[in-house]
Amino acid sequence: MMEKQFKKKSLKKFLFGHRGEAGFIGKFFMYLLLIGISFIFLYPILKMLSRSFMGLEDLMDPSVIWIPTKFIFKNYVKAAEVLNFWKSLGDSLKVGIWPTLAAVVSSSLIGYGFAHFEFPLKKMWMAILIVVFLLPTMLMSIPTYVIFSKLNILGSLKSYIYPALTGFGLRQSVFILIFYQFFKVIPKELSESAEMDGASELGIFLRIAVPMSIPAFIICTLYSFVWYWNETILATTYFKGVITTLQMALSSFEYTYSHSFSTGSIGIGAAAESFNQGVLFAGTILTILPLLLLYAFTQKWFVESADRSGIAGE
Amino acid sequence: MKKFKAFIKKIWITISEFVRCKLSVWIGKGLRFIGKYTGISWLYKKYQKVVSNKGKKAIAGYLFISLWLIGLMIFAARPIVESIRMALSNYSGSRIIDGSSTFIVEGFGFKQFAQIFKDNPDHVEAILSTLLDVAVVVPLVLIFSLLLAILLHRKLKGIKIFRMIFFIPVILLSGNLLGYFNTYNLLTVSQLQSSDLQNLLTFYLPTQVVDVIINVFGKIILILWFSGVQTLIFLAGLQKDNKAVYEAASIDGANRWEMFWKITFPQLLPLMTINIIYTTVIYSNTGNELTSLISTTITQPDYGRDYASALSWILFGIEIVVIVFYVMIFKLANRKDK
Repeated sequence: MMEKQFKKKSLKKFLFGHRGEAGFIGKFFMYLLLIGISFIFLYPILKMLSRSFMGLEDLMDPSVIWIPTKFIFKNYVKAAEVLNFWKSLGDSLKVGIWPTLAAVVSSSLIGYGFAHFEFPLKKMWMAILIVVFLLPTMLMSIPTYVIFSKLNILGSLKSYIYPALTGFGLRQSVFILIFYQFFKVIPKELSESAEMDGASELGIFLRIAVPMSIPAFIICTLYSFVWYWNETILATTYFKGVITTLQMALSSFEYTYSHSFSTGSIGIGAAAESFNQGVLFAGTILTILPLLLLYAFTQKWFVESADRSGIAGE
Repeated sequence: MKKFKAFIKKIWITISEFVRCKLSVWIGKGLRFIGKYTGISWLYKKYQKVVSNKGKKAIAGYLFISLWLIGLMIFAARPIVESIRMALSNYSGSRIIDGSSTFIVEGFGFKQFAQIFKDNPDHVEAILSTLLDVAVVVPLVLIFSLLLAILLHRKLKGIKIFRMIFFIPVILLSGNLLGYFNTYNLLTVSQLQSSDLQNLLTFYLPTQVVDVIINVFGKIILILWFSGVQTLIFLAGLQKDNKAVYEAASIDGANRWEMFWKITFPQLLPLMTINIIYTTVIYSNTGNELTSLISTTITQPDYGRDYASALSWILFGIEIVVIVFYVMIFKLANRKDK
């Protein structure tokens, strides 16, 4: 009798959980929910991936939903040609890396200045820092274009690096605030004792503050790189014709395609050569592939960044 | 390399020593001398304040942010002033004077804004629809990111894989990609938008509500894709939770629902403000009707840079209105609880 009751209870415990621990049913639904949401998240990417292997017939055929009847890898070859893949990849890397380095160095210095020192008008400057973040990129880019053309730095990486060096790169207020949060939690006693030993302010920054906030550097580098990589509107206004990043090549994909393929191939294969979703999606997948690779190796830093960055500490 | 480093260090030390000891003493002496014979002793007093430890710290602080201050002058203050000037001008653009084209700004007035609101009803429509779009999407992003954060906070096996999947949009989000999603109808899971569902809903609910719900379903992927960083921020807030508080609450007989509203939610409220600001700024700058309108009008001869500047100030206005509106709501809600 006792045993039976006990079994019933443990079954109940197993199914419905107890003391805050979710039971089997709870867990089951939780996983179902998680998988469902994951599917919705990835839906557009998966759809693009599947369509990027499709030929024109499969794209037109409403009965073909996910798996193409014939895998066409030629789409990728064509897309790479249209994107001018290797050159654009090199340009994208350049545009990602150099401004990012400039941005990280300058934001760490600025963030340290705000976090570690008390000075008059500090509150006002920090308010301005946030207001600058609020200004639309389009708003700033119109007059900045004129200024850059006067300074004669349009069409070169300098038009990205100079603002990044002075703390006005792409969404750089965010990085300054992340560094601010990191440096703020460094105990004052450490820097004070270093000061007693005769270290200069710059020495304290380099020897104590920087080594203690390596995570901030990694997080900011990654986010900055990704944001510079994905930026299209600014890149087109500043670099047009000189540097072509993958995203820029992608945004003018249809135009380039129609100029490089359609004119030459009038005849039997013309229908297959005309612009179609398959090639475009292959191009899109190619542009996001490097980012996915980066994410595969560094996702720990993207995912755990918030717990470490102390954004929540305010 | 090492030698070079040592060399730099040597120079740095001498300079800093010099500034710290010699120079400050000299200036102090000089100022005291001047003060003695001219009667302006406040100069000396002020100087002593500056040389004091507090003053030194303040100077060091300004030196650290000096880069930013320079940038503020060149890359923020000037563009802002010029943008305002352009938006309030009668004409600004390049004109050919003496054979070479120069950029000129002419006149002063609200001509550009008048042109937007009087002559171009389709542009006004774009502005209004952008405002509505941002105002609807921002709270939804907040709600979804809160839900996602709570879901990902659970300790389940394999939660790390789901976290990895959920944050893929953070790295992929770009105007290009969203543009293609939009043009090729990838932002709706087609099964969710079937007419059966709509019919079923209209049977039970008034049509206006159904329209809103269907609209949300149509944007669900967009909303999820925009909620990556916000989820991270909420997740960070959740991870700071104090376990002892929950234990105490459960001993007092609180159920999970109560614990969420009484303990978890108030903790996340301060993060709401950050997330509202972040969401509004990112969403209103990543490819919507108004930004595309701005980028097309820049190059069109009928409109030009002045017109586009005026439009972009309106975009800024939209951001401010949305942020202030939602922050106020959350502040008021918070006050009522207390």
